[in-house]
Amino acid sequence: MTAPSFLSTRPVFIVGIGLHRYQRRSDQTYVSLGLTAVREALTDAGVNWTDVDAAYTGTALLGMGASRIMLSRLGATGIPMTQVENASASGSSSVAQACLEVASGRSDVVVALGVDKPRGGLGAAPGEAGIPNLEAGSIVPFTHFALLASEYMNLHAVTDEQVAKVAVKNHRNGSQNPFAQRQKVRTLDEVLAEPISGSLTRLQCCPVGEGAAAVIIASEDGIDRLGIDRSRAMQVVASATKTEALYAEGVGIDAALTAETGTAAFEEAGLEPSDLDVLEVHDAFAIEELLYAEALGLCKPGEAATRVESGDFDIGGSCAFSPSGGLLAMGHPIGPTGVGQIAEVVRQLRGEAGPRQQPNARVGMAHMVGIGAVCVVHILRKP
Amino acid sequence: MTTEARHPHLLKLVDPPIIVGHRCISCERIAFPPDPYGCEKCGSPSDNFENWDLEARGSVRAVATVHRHHRPAPITPFTVAVIELVGGPVVKAIVEGDDVVVGSSVEGFLAPEDKDDAGKVIVDLRFRITQ
Ligand SMILES: [Zn+2]
Repeated sequence: MTAPSFLSTRPVFIVGIGLHRYQRRSDQTYVSLGLTAVREALTDAGVNWTDVDAAYTGTALLGMGASRIMLSRLGATGIPMTQVENASASGSSSVAQACLEVASGRSDVVVALGVDKPRGGLGAAPGEAGIPNLEAGSIVPFTHFALLASEYMNLHAVTDEQVAKVAVKNHRNGSQNPFAQRQKVRTLDEVLAEPISGSLTRLQCCPVGEGAAAVIIASEDGIDRLGIDRSRAMQVVASATKTEALYAEGVGIDAALTAETGTAAFEEAGLEPSDLDVLEVHDAFAIEELLYAEALGLCKPGEAATRVESGDFDIGGSCAFSPSGGLLAMGHPIGPTGVGQIAEVVRQLRGEAGPRQQPNARVGMAHMVGIGAVCVVHILRKP
Repeated sequence: MTTEARHPHLLKLVDPPIIVGHRCISCERIAFPPDPYGCEKCGSPSDNFENWDLEARGSVRAVATVHRHHRPAPITPFTVAVIELVGGPVVKAIVEGDDVVVGSSVEGFLAPEDKDDAGKVIVDLRFRITQ
């Protein structure tokens, strides 16, 4: 069943973006992190907090009831606030819910926020499901992806150096992003040092720190009524969410799920993979950029490593992959990550990304995967 | 001296060891591990499952040596693999020996992992190159 896109019935735009830099865990409260991002997004949009009709807070680690004690410090206006948890895709899902709310006509201006602070563990529910497994305890997320890397590299005769070049590129992009947790250019030798699991090294694994990201989402009515600058409003033309279905034994679920969600998003937008100028991808581990480039149809199976080497996925290439630095360099504070991707895509489509600007960017995608497994994909277009 | 499996519901302590999976009587899907809730293919509740013995033999689809680990056990370095069992399901497990590569034929064996105060030995399934 394919319903007509709710986003074409009542168009939805991102009109403001704001971030608190991603950083190592500090004494700063989540309230302070979140308010920094929301205030910046409101200023960027040129709207007041009293103009906001509803708020969604994406967070996976803070615990219940995070929103009001934070957002009421902008003024206790009594608007509906809802906390959204979808593992690593929590922020992406807060954007999805905010888009749905504006498209439905219930609201004209909605804030989607992501904020988190790291804890000792992730506290993931699947481990509490009471389904014992042989590998319990020995396979943590980076080893899951190290095993996917092993299979992919063997199948396509790809070397450690080729996978590491993804991280070299994304660290270089992150060095140009003042909101990135890691802002250092790294050589191939540096990236290849410090093995963690299989071929993955420390600099091919994302840092999990703290931070915040916020976007203001508005309808055309809201834009007109509040006199928002239309030239800086970027349209959301697809919002797709899927969970893992039952695939054939041994099929890599992360890539299969990404392929299905990406297809749904391209169909909703009426666009093709070749239309993308910018793609913020879930590169928690370097191998993922190669897997998802192929799953999303940006290149043929087995081609992604040579496309990275050729510079095709660089800023200035045919499609800039993770110009923000991606999860590898910008960082992965969990709740903020998916919202931060949307902020980067908007900045790129506006042409305001400064030294990391992809020339003539008109269409961009944000892609997140979360434990469970869930996948959330948004496509944005410059009107 | 008694011997007990670390995961008693997942293994039969025979030689060679047997991995216990499940088969859904409604849709005939064979899967690992056994599941106390229901079938991911057809939605049947798990009282419609039967235990299904799987030979601990298969081929390696992926392998990785872990150098850093968030937990006290296993002690690093150790090597894990994705193994496609001859009976269909794919499992992940620790493998022993430097000679395991993608495509290797491997077999399961019971490795002692721990001994409690009463002398009870805890064993777990590991894989090695087929002898
Ligand atoms: Zn069934």
